[in-house]
Amino acid sequence: MSFSSLLLQQTINGMSLGAMYALLALGFTLIYGILELINFAHFNVFMMGSFLALWVLQGFGLTGQTVILTGLPLIGVLVAALIVTMFGTGVLGVVIERVTLRPLRGITGPAAMITTIGVSYVLFNIILLLTSAQTLNFPNPLPQLQWQVHGAIVTLPEVLIWLVAPLLMTGLWAFVQKSRLGKAMRATAQDPEAARMMGVEVDKVIMTAFFLGSALAGAGGMIFGLYYNFTSFLIGFTAGLRAFTAAVLGGIGNVPGAMVGGFAIGLIEAYSGQFIATEWSDVIIFSILVLVLVFRPAGLFGRLAPSKS
Amino acid sequence: MITRRAAAQLLASTAAAATLGAGPALAADKVIVIGVDLPLTGADAQGAIRILHGAQLVFDQANDANAVPGYTFKLAVMNDATATAGQYDPAQAATNARKMVSDHGLVAAIGPEMSGSGKAMAPILSEGGLATITPASTNPDITNPKFAAEFMPAGKAIYFRTVTTDAFQGPEMTMFMAKKLGVKSVYILDDSGAYGVGLADAFEGQAKKIGMKVMGRDRLDPKNADYTTTLTKIKAANPQALYFGGVDEAGVKLVKQAYQIIPKMIKGGGDGMVAPDILTAAGFPAAQGWYATIAAPHLVGDPKSQGVIRAYKAKFGIGPDDYALTAYDAGLIIIGAVKTLIAEKKPINKATMRDAIAASKTPTLQGVVEFDKYGDMKSHIVSVYQIREDKSKPLDDMIAQYHYLGPAPQV
Repeated sequence: MSFSSLLLQQTINGMSLGAMYALLALGFTLIYGILELINFAHFNVFMMGSFLALWVLQGFGLTGQTVILTGLPLIGVLVAALIVTMFGTGVLGVVIERVTLRPLRGITGPAAMITTIGVSYVLFNIILLLTSAQTLNFPNPLPQLQWQVHGAIVTLPEVLIWLVAPLLMTGLWAFVQKSRLGKAMRATAQDPEAARMMGVEVDKVIMTAFFLGSALAGAGGMIFGLYYNFTSFLIGFTAGLRAFTAAVLGGIGNVPGAMVGGFAIGLIEAYSGQFIATEWSDVIIFSILVLVLVFRPAGLFGRLAPSKS
Repeated sequence: MITRRAAAQLLASTAAAATLGAGPALAADKVIVIGVDLPLTGADAQGAIRILHGAQLVFDQANDANAVPGYTFKLAVMNDATATAGQYDPAQAATNARKMVSDHGLVAAIGPEMSGSGKAMAPILSEGGLATITPASTNPDITNPKFAAEFMPAGKAIYFRTVTTDAFQGPEMTMFMAKKLGVKSVYILDDSGAYGVGLADAFEGQAKKIGMKVMGRDRLDPKNADYTTTLTKIKAANPQALYFGGVDEAGVKLVKQAYQIIPKMIKGGGDGMVAPDILTAAGFPAAQGWYATIAAPHLVGDPKSQGVIRAYKAKFGIGPDDYALTAYDAGLIIIGAVKTLIAEKKPINKATMRDAIAASKTPTLQGVVEFDKYGDMKSHIVSVYQIREDKSKPLDDMIAQYHYLGPAPQV
């Protein structure tokens, strides 16, 4: 393997990781932008997403790595699983907001954030008990296709990640920028009181933000399963923490910033693993985070900030 | 004439015999309690339950055959896995060790399965003077005199084993790779756990000693999902083989992703890679061809073990693995020690049992077991397996899917 193809391969690895982190980071950023709340339940909504997708795929009779689909059945199964997963985690997000967070709205201080940590552990333990801590084989109906590009290998799941993740992210971006509800979201983010006075239904806006953020996390969970072919109750924490870092790096509250942050963290992880050592990846990722926050407290791109006084 | 006291005694002992189901044991039998500590729930449950059955079988057989007249063996089984850990939990193991030490009637123990539990238990057992025999935990630190202050603070050996340690499991696999597979260059990974790092270090030390080229050494974070970066690095370094010191948590992901990135490379690990998860969660074709070792002779395939294996299957409905049979051996050593004490007319308590076990030369399924003064077995046989799919058997049938290749060359 020549140096340039090695570099290319690590870039491919990093971009795939980054796409997943970016999908997750969007959920953090969306909710922070509106509520100024760091939602730690998001970690395990992502994990629940991978399990929902697993159960749907198993429902289609797919188990292990033996059943390979092509053409329309493949697309049909994947789209169906994606829709069910995104809808399921979206509803889960709304329920979390309605049941545990709305009663705390208006209470200042860290109560709401601590609540999300609690919810995160509840989800974690539900799956732990359901699976008795086993790592589960995630079905992979994708054909084993791969392509050689300048000595590096690109696989079909990687290509799909690069297609689906930007598609979902652009969709969200367009929704926030163009739609009526998106405009209401931005208004709420800037000043909830004024927005309410202008007739914006703030509760509905917040529920939408939770639905969308959690649905993206669900999509991330399903993509995770298809890419790595396993899932377990543990997957939320490492991925979630890195995605959170990505959101902060890009400027929490800033949607494009979260995307860029996600890819940046993915690439940093891949390059530092190659050129330094994998056990230093976390040190490097979090050192960069600290440096960015010291010199640019609002993150690389600043945030779409609630400008509350 | 039956006095009131005799009648009461008779009644009590009949009731005791009935509740214990002690079979032909005499009503006046004294009960000898043997502690068992294993991770019986969670990720490690399958292997732990097989080990437990091995211990149950040997003592049930002894009770049924009245092997030690006047005495009945009873197991006090404790689980060291917790729901929060999802697997073995050293804190729970320490709690169990305290329970065992404070139980006056409990004179010896079997377990634990995991070295992490062993490290937590050893100091407590040492202070309490209780001997345990582990049928599976292989970390050499626990019995290493260098760490005596930590693991045997009271001075005497209390952590005995019916398996060898990673000080042999790693190096003998190095020799297997060098001599049997012709490996001249290797890349080494560990999973940052006590067991994994120790095993990988032992493998690496031997590789350097015999001039096998170590192309690199990296550490996997078992909580991370993505090892493609590390595997790409290995692919670029292009060694002949990959050796992984670690357990299945990182192992499952490594097996899957290594199949994508370095499918043709020779890949091997230690007894941490002998786990049902490797077969079910990583699965085939990814797991096909991986080598793994057991720090004991291959007892399941030994003609001398077949009688015990038949009895095991008849009683529990599943077959034993090698560590279930080393647990059976541990039981034989404990029973032998009790017999010795009775023959020498000594009392049976924690201290006398410890001394009797330390001095024992008991014939077992793996031959006569003798311990050195730190508690390790004098023999150090390591068995090598290769995962080869047997489609006629269930996916998680470890005995069918792990194909025995032979003992590793000794160092």
